[in-house]
Amino acid sequence: MIEFNNVSLRYGDGPTILRDISFSIKKGSFHFLTGSSGAGKTSLLRLLLLSLKPSEGKMSMLGQEISKLDRDRLLQLRRHIGIVFQEFKLLDHLSTFENVALPLRVLGQQPKEYEENVKELLNWVGLGERMHALPNVLSGGEKQRAAIARAVISRPDILLADEPTGNVDPELSERLLHLFAELNRMGTTIIIATHELSMIKKFNYPQIALKDGGIIIR
Amino acid sequence: MNILNFLEKKDISPTPIVPTQTLTSNTLVFLIAIMTFLSALTFGGLILVQKSASAWSSDISREVTIQIMPIEGELMDANLRLAETIAQATSGVSNAQALSIEESEALLKPWLGEELDLTDLNIPRLVVVKLSDPLNADLLSLKNELKIIKGARLDTHDAWRDQLNTMAKTIIISGMLIFLLIVVATLLAVFFATRSTMSSSRQTVDVLHFIGASNRFVAKEFGSRFLRIGLKGSLIGGISAIIFYMLLGFITSSYLPSSSTEQITALFGTFSLSLWDIFAILSLVPIIALLTAYTSRLTVRRFLKQIAW
Repeated sequence: MIEFNNVSLRYGDGPTILRDISFSIKKGSFHFLTGSSGAGKTSLLRLLLLSLKPSEGKMSMLGQEISKLDRDRLLQLRRHIGIVFQEFKLLDHLSTFENVALPLRVLGQQPKEYEENVKELLNWVGLGERMHALPNVLSGGEKQRAAIARAVISRPDILLADEPTGNVDPELSERLLHLFAELNRMGTTIIIATHELSMIKKFNYPQIALKDGGIIIR
Repeated sequence: MNILNFLEKKDISPTPIVPTQTLTSNTLVFLIAIMTFLSALTFGGLILVQKSASAWSSDISREVTIQIMPIEGELMDANLRLAETIAQATSGVSNAQALSIEESEALLKPWLGEELDLTDLNIPRLVVVKLSDPLNADLLSLKNELKIIKGARLDTHDAWRDQLNTMAKTIIISGMLIFLLIVVATLLAVFFATRSTMSSSRQTVDVLHFIGASNRFVAKEFGSRFLRIGLKGSLIGGISAIIFYMLLGFITSSYLPSSSTEQITALFGTFSLSLWDIFAILSLVPIIALLTAYTSRLTVRRFLKQIAW
């Protein structure tokens, strides 16, 4: 599903952030992406999200080599990838319902088409009662669950999450991880960038560990 | 009421993806309203000048005047009657009528005031000659025939008409230039407002990109937002301009002294707008709204091309 062959990344003429990275991730797998601050976790996630292209090496996702794709094809491919940001990135003027429905609006669906699906998903993540609330009245955990719901509403093949438990308490972190595990059981390939060792140990999924710009799979 | 409940939205009809009620958008609505108002005033002024110039030109071309200067030893009344007879015998003339002293006074009242008394003044007298066919009237023959009357002179108003046309054209060209400058200033304001909105909506743009929205989709969302702003602003400005012209027409006809009204009407015509004039002014509303949407869309596309993703 995801193949990296000697991928390197640097921003402009700056230093190399990721060096000769090679790994592959199978469909339906669950991985933690770990590494100390500045190790390049966010950069690797941006590569996986197709918001950056590798400076060197080959990278393919969902069977397509990224360097050969034009802007429109990259866009099509990106619609198969969901992303959960650490800082949620919910749009403040849209309700929880509308934030979650956003990917479907982008796909051109009408409210009547997506209304039931969005409500069902919001109930599933425990936000059924808060669907009309604006983000500024949601708690950190509610925002994170809304962000997860938005990332999965269009049923992506791959779900990326950048420190999804960074802003919530340990109890909620565990609940969120169970939510990701549930999504994974339904067939979504999941990569979670995190530095929370307790969670990594508890859930015991394989790790893609970044160190000094290189990578170790364990 | 619980503040949280108050903040919660109750309906699920789609909210515009780009926020509409921001300081920038409200300011832009106000700015577009002012610019549309100024455009409509300029446009209305041009209509007024054009209509007045056409009316003047048409009136002047259908009429010539015989002026008879008072000369000692000459009988003015006899000369006036002779001039009438000569004029009426000329081909292309429908009527010739000497103005009485009272009519001459009435003619000069708007310019010299109500207290005018011409009885003691030795003023030139006029014979107004109406032309049935201005293009084929034999004015050269009339001019030659009038030579038998001492002090008579034919005024065809050509110089006056040429001057009038030149003045009207100058005003219209200047007005069009002002109109264009206002439109350009409006579009520049829209350009900068769009860039400012794009910068302040960077998170919205990023989120849309991350969930797979194309640049076309993002541009469409921002474009429709600016179309709404443009429509709102231009509608306010256009309707305000029409109300302004109606008020102006009402004030000139109701509150100004009759002599002032006559002078203003003689120079500029009436300030009343016909249905066509209102339609012409209102046609600025969709034009400015569409130009606003188009400019913002181009600006958004340029902005999106500049940001890497």
